[in-house]
Amino acid sequence: MTVKEFDATRLAQEYMHKAPAGIIKLALDSFDNIAISFSGAEDVVLVDMAAKINPEVNVFSLDTGRLHPETYRFFEQVRNHYKINIEILSPEHVALEKFVKEKGLYSFYKDGHKECCGIRKVMPLRNKLNTLDAWITGQRKDQSPGTRADVPVVENDSAFSTETHKLIKFNPLSFWTSSQVWQYIRENDVPYNELHTRGYISIGCEPCTKPVLPNQHEREGRWWWEEATMKECGLHAGNLNKKTG
Amino acid sequence: MIKKIKEDGTACRKCAEVEKRLGDAGLYDSIDRIIVADERDPESEGMRIAAEYNVDRAPFFMVEEDGKPPRIYTVYMQFLKEVLVVEASEQDAIKDIMDTNPDLDYI
Repeated sequence: MTVKEFDATRLAQEYMHKAPAGIIKLALDSFDNIAISFSGAEDVVLVDMAAKINPEVNVFSLDTGRLHPETYRFFEQVRNHYKINIEILSPEHVALEKFVKEKGLYSFYKDGHKECCGIRKVMPLRNKLNTLDAWITGQRKDQSPGTRADVPVVENDSAFSTETHKLIKFNPLSFWTSSQVWQYIRENDVPYNELHTRGYISIGCEPCTKPVLPNQHEREGRWWWEEATMKECGLHAGNLNKKTG
Repeated sequence: MIKKIKEDGTACRKCAEVEKRLGDAGLYDSIDRIIVADERDPESEGMRIAAEYNVDRAPFFMVEEDGKPPRIYTVYMQFLKEVLVVEASEQDAIKDIMDTNPDLDYI
């Protein structure tokens, strides 16, 4: 099927309550030029489900250069366990060298994480997605209620589509909870990142990820120093209200 | 361009960053005026404009043309594309993707 013929809006409704494996089957049956984005965390369940449908499924991971050693070891474990090739994507070296030369290795603690993530993660991701018709992510609604309250199981990718290149994005785990993901991991003997045994839930780069305490939301373990700066671009409503009120 | 001074008197980081990006791209001269929205003073010109046009983020851009109502741009890339009519750099494009898709943080 071509991307043009694919009706993501209709299929999002139709597949909303279907099991993730069914959504992955839809994805793999619909597109040949498709790949799974694997972060090295519990989204390994996508690889497990997809490998059962197509043992030669395409998988890629973003090597930011700052991941935990445990995550690198986990990539190898998954590669060997499923006998698949994981395409490891690296940052564009000229942009990265310029950034590090100007700002050093820990600028995100002062300037926020976005510039670093942009160069180490989003830029190589965009370059990869430009070569695909569709991709599969492990995004779930329950991961970040603020930003992921609305994650359809399949969508036209508005972030990475361009005027000349339309991209479809599948989020098969959207309606699953963390608890359902872990139940699947245990029931199916799926390998998992050893960091999970040490209190890490959401896993990203080593300097920007920490374990969380019981009942803390998983996102509290990511960019925990940024609460204030994230709000910085807002104009304080109180002051605006004084004027308008 | 309306940029912000925070309640503690310091400059808004994001505003400074956008100013730098305009300068780096050689576009600074395309901005007619820089207006300050001082959070300590609701009567400052920038705060009054923000209130009038119901803008809740900074920086933002106001484009005035004779005979037309002012247009407000809160997304830098959109301003670049539609008003200054310039092609964005890859870094600007990435920044825009991240600003408008916060869920990508967790990919």
